[in-house]
Amino acid sequence: MDADKKRLQKELMTLQLNPPVGIKVNGDHGSSLTTWYVEMEGATGTLYEGEKFQLLFKFTNRYPFDSPEVVFTGTNIPVHPHVYSNGHICLSILTEDWSPALSVESVCLSIVSMLSSCKEKKRPPDNTFYVKTCSKNPKKTRWWYHDDKV
Amino acid sequence: MASTSESEGQKEGDDPEDANKSNPSQDGTFECNICLDTAHDAVVSMCGHLFCWPCLHQWLETRPNRQTCPVCKAGISKEKVVPLYGRGNAKQEDPRTKVPPRPQGQRTEPENNGPFQSFNWGGDGGFQMSFGIGAFPFGLFASTVNLGGPRLPGAQPGTPQFEEEQFLSKLFLWVAILFIFWLLVA
Ligand SMILES: [Zn+2]
Ligand SMILES: [Zn+2]
Repeated sequence: MDADKKRLQKELMTLQLNPPVGIKVNGDHGSSLTTWYVEMEGATGTLYEGEKFQLLFKFTNRYPFDSPEVVFTGTNIPVHPHVYSNGHICLSILTEDWSPALSVESVCLSIVSMLSSCKEKKRPPDNTFYVKTCSKNPKKTRWWYHDDKV
Repeated sequence: MASTSESEGQKEGDDPEDANKSNPSQDGTFECNICLDTAHDAVVSMCGHLFCWPCLHQWLETRPNRQTCPVCKAGISKEKVVPLYGRGNAKQEDPRTKVPPRPQGQRTEPENNGPFQSFNWGGDGGFQMSFGIGAFPFGLFASTVNLGGPRLPGAQPGTPQFEEEQFLSKLFLWVAILFIFWLLVA
């Protein structure tokens, strides 16, 4: 088994055995392991309490040296200043601050915490423009991580 | 009896968490922070994080201009990681022959506390010995050369004593040169 598959297999097993609160990996990933759907619940006591979201992870065979491609998908895209209405997420660990010591679990937890610290539900100011012009792959976007407050 | 068999039946129940804990390879202490497997050809960074050398090497190659520890983002470089040699490593092939080569351990000599400190057995079974060689041959050489200068009482040119002294002087010179040559070659 290739190193990337081995690691993904390991991560999948750990996530299925000990899932963090509010996070659930869907069981069926086929044999390739390159596409995962992760169910996520808004944390209690936050603006997203009771909401359910779905994340789509795509892995290349360079994982974990290459970051996974992570977007919100499905019918409910969280309304958040760093989440575009097409599901793209502006989060530095998904591109330039990625590290191979991160994992699906740590990415999920970062996203939960990003949602949890939100004070006001609104779309990013450039949402309309971005959604019209962006590439399908958020990793091709040159993100400008300037707002650390939210 | 019935109660005993019942409790045994409960113990045998497959609790995934218990199975997880009893498996030593699942214990993360010696897992590589990149492949999440037990680290092989292990190296540790100055910040104390453990990796397989091939894993870390690949990460350093991925971002050659911004080499940081995957775990704590501390600066990291090939020169500043320490290989770990466990007991089981001795019989395995030399990791340095593998690609990519693992950086070698840096062996710092202990401080000289006594006259016998310079005499030691190398850790790899090699025999190392050093002793003072500085002054002796050069002192000899110098005294031989000095024969040519004004020296009283000296033998007069032409006398057998002079011949003998010249001969001895040349002999000493050659011995000195040979000795230096031997030191260089040895
Ligand atoms: Zn590794
Ligand atoms: Zn570190």
